Amino acid sequence: MPAKELDSPCMDCKDTESVLTVRRRQLCGACFKRFVSYKVFRRMEKYKPPRNPQDPRHQLLLPLSFGVSSSVLLRMLDAELERQRSKNFARNTFDLHVLVIEPSTMAGSSVPYDRNYEAVQKIFPQHTYSQVPFHSIFEYVPDMNEIMREYTGPQFTDDSSRSNAERLAAFRAAISTATSATDVDSVLLTRLVAAFAKQSGCETVLWGDSDSRLAAKALAGVAKGRGASLTWRVSDGVSPWGLQFDFPLRDLYKAELIQYESVCPELAEIIIPDEPPSDNVLTKNLSIDELMMRYVETQGAKYPGVMANVARTVNKLETSNSGNASCGLCGGLVGNVKRNSGVTVSSQAESSGSPFCYGCMRSRPEINC
Amino acid sequence: MAPTACFNCQQARAVIIRPKNRHKLCRACFLAIFETEVHETITGTNLFYPGERVAIGASGGKDSTVLAAVLKTLNERYNYGLDLCLLSIDEGIRGYRDDSLETVKRNAVQYEMPLEIVGYGELYGWTMDQVVEQVGKKGNCTYCGVFRRQALDRGAARLGIKHVVTGHNADDVAETVMMNLLRGDLPRLSRGTKIVTDSDASDIKRSKPLKYAYEKEIVLYAHHRQLDYFSTECIYSPEAFRGSARTLIKDLEKIRPSSILDIVKSGEDMAALVPRNVSQNGKGSQRVAAGEDEATGGCGSQNGRSSGGEMAAMEQQLNENETAESHETEIRLPAGPTSQKLPKGGKVIKKQTMGHCERCGYISSQRICKACTLLDGLNRNRPKTAIEVSVGMEDEESSTTLMRQMERTQLTSAEMLKKNEDEHV
Repeated sequence: MPAKELDSPCMDCKDTESVLTVRRRQLCGACFKRFVSYKVFRRMEKYKPPRNPQDPRHQLLLPLSFGVSSSVLLRMLDAELERQRSKNFARNTFDLHVLVIEPSTMAGSSVPYDRNYEAVQKIFPQHTYSQVPFHSIFEYVPDMNEIMREYTGPQFTDDSSRSNAERLAAFRAAISTATSATDVDSVLLTRLVAAFAKQSGCETVLWGDSDSRLAAKALAGVAKGRGASLTWRVSDGVSPWGLQFDFPLRDLYKAELIQYESVCPELAEIIIPDEPPSDNVLTKNLSIDELMMRYVETQGAKYPGVMANVARTVNKLETSNSGNASCGLCGGLVGNVKRNSGVTVSSQAESSGSPFCYGCMRSRPEINC
Repeated sequence: MAPTACFNCQQARAVIIRPKNRHKLCRACFLAIFETEVHETITGTNLFYPGERVAIGASGGKDSTVLAAVLKTLNERYNYGLDLCLLSIDEGIRGYRDDSLETVKRNAVQYEMPLEIVGYGELYGWTMDQVVEQVGKKGNCTYCGVFRRQALDRGAARLGIKHVVTGHNADDVAETVMMNLLRGDLPRLSRGTKIVTDSDASDIKRSKPLKYAYEKEIVLYAHHRQLDYFSTECIYSPEAFRGSARTLIKDLEKIRPSSILDIVKSGEDMAALVPRNVSQNGKGSQRVAAGEDEATGGCGSQNGRSSGGEMAAMEQQLNENETAESHETEIRLPAGPTSQKLPKGGKVIKKQTMGHCERCGYISSQRICKACTLLDGLNRNRPKTAIEVSVGMEDEESSTTLMRQMERTQLTSAEMLKKNEDEHV
């Protein structure tokens, strides 16, 4: 058979035209998918099949935001389950629960997503799907209004006669700066997902954070005084609620996930495209999380490996085993809040015996900086 | 518009917006609060004992000048019973160090403290200007950092002093935390935030009493006490990772002023989480940009301009590692589950054992200490550079100096504006 003439053959299979360049190698779509899936597969290997066929399988929760990363992760895990089933006599090693926090109940998003929600269930029908509004945090975390009242202090009054949606909106409105608002939102989101996972009997949450996102999260966490909790916010580790938090996409860059999306046409129906970041913003008006995303993006264009190494470095930290009280809001260790938490001598005395950790104290409403 | 009253005493007129939290304060309250915070840092960490002889590493710059002034004030106010003196290093950088040394000499008179100056020239036979002439502008900070550490130790030893305090501030510490995170340097992440760094490598203890003080507040303190300091930064540019971290921290401070302190806090918390076998060893992780033993924060220009060479070099090394690893896994794959056990098992890491440098007697983990190794390299090439090169360098030198001077003019005018803004409440 005469050899096919290819302009730039795929460097792995050698007999297809390459369509993408990944880590300085030209690959075809199929080989690219294999390369990417292998990185996730390696992370999922730890979910071994139960020894006894009667034993329950691993129950994993996947929070889906309809963004590129979590949608790609769902597509990969679906393919992995398919592969497991295709083997003779093989059974799945885990079950997937997909959780959607209704985007319309979260900040700033008004994009309709109903069609995306229908599409995802149609395209990947094997999994359990649930959707809850953001303000259902009052139901899943029963003492949440108590926590919020204590956190916001006297200037905020919770009116329990109002609807949960209104109460959550009032709480969030009490937080003044962009940094604190983003910070508290992500804390609440994590709590809601963790509480939902516990109630639905899941042992692990699989977060769809890409490597780039984890690097930004690590740097932002450090900048917000949350260094101690990176061991479960960025590393694969046990969260304060006893659930395992895993990040199976930790070896893939955001750009590679976008490439993956481009070779999987079915994902177009699911993904709600990101709004492009406006480039006309004063640094001082950004939130710390946004600043770090931008930093990782710009530096990552030049030094992707260095950025990737940030998340890898954090993943080497050990979990703290000091039996300390945990923060009422974020669940992190309260630790020694008093020592130099305040910027002034007087505020140091105030914060002693606080039920909240250093990072949460920083985002509190009355601290207006 | 009525003048704002001081947030603290509610009486005097506020003239300062505090960079840490934007409180409006009068001059007296600001100075008092600044001093009290340093005092609390000192007492909270039991930094000194009564009667201790302490050398202040003095460069003539704002940080060390403020440190000397504050320590003198606190020593008298709270009866620490310290015997203080100034210790200066003369790196031999023309147009920078010779001028700043004059400042230190005046400080010695103003604060009535004895002064000791140790020169690179007398100690190593090389001034920094000569080193730069030889190795170029890239990587000369490595030499400076290694030489300085030893020079401070030797100066202290000459004075019979066991404790050197340095002017590292919160910005420097925060910068080091971010930099070590970017570099993936866990051992330094675990050491960089400590207030006292007494390592096995030296019997002289180092500490940074201004660890929680903001650079901006140090400038304000120096300004309002009208301290005599030298405001030029080193003319050689910082290492790329530090430059990148510095830019990032300036941006963060604009968004949330407390973030410098928050990074220090995160750094302290994370230091406790660094695995033990890594934190005890100096070489636990991959490092490309060698040099800079511990936090040598206060050096490098404020512009953060740099070639980026170190980041590019690390990027390349990481790429090579990944390529190598991908070859490895392909072979390892059939083994299956066993590959999982690898990361946890932990490699046996060789511990550092301290001995003395065969050449100079300085404490070192190697047979020959780092300074002597660097000197070897310098001396080997010395004869070659007789006339030609030095002439060429001369030109370049003067032109960059001119450039720097112009930048400085712009900077100072910008700084003045900023200062006015700060004072004008």
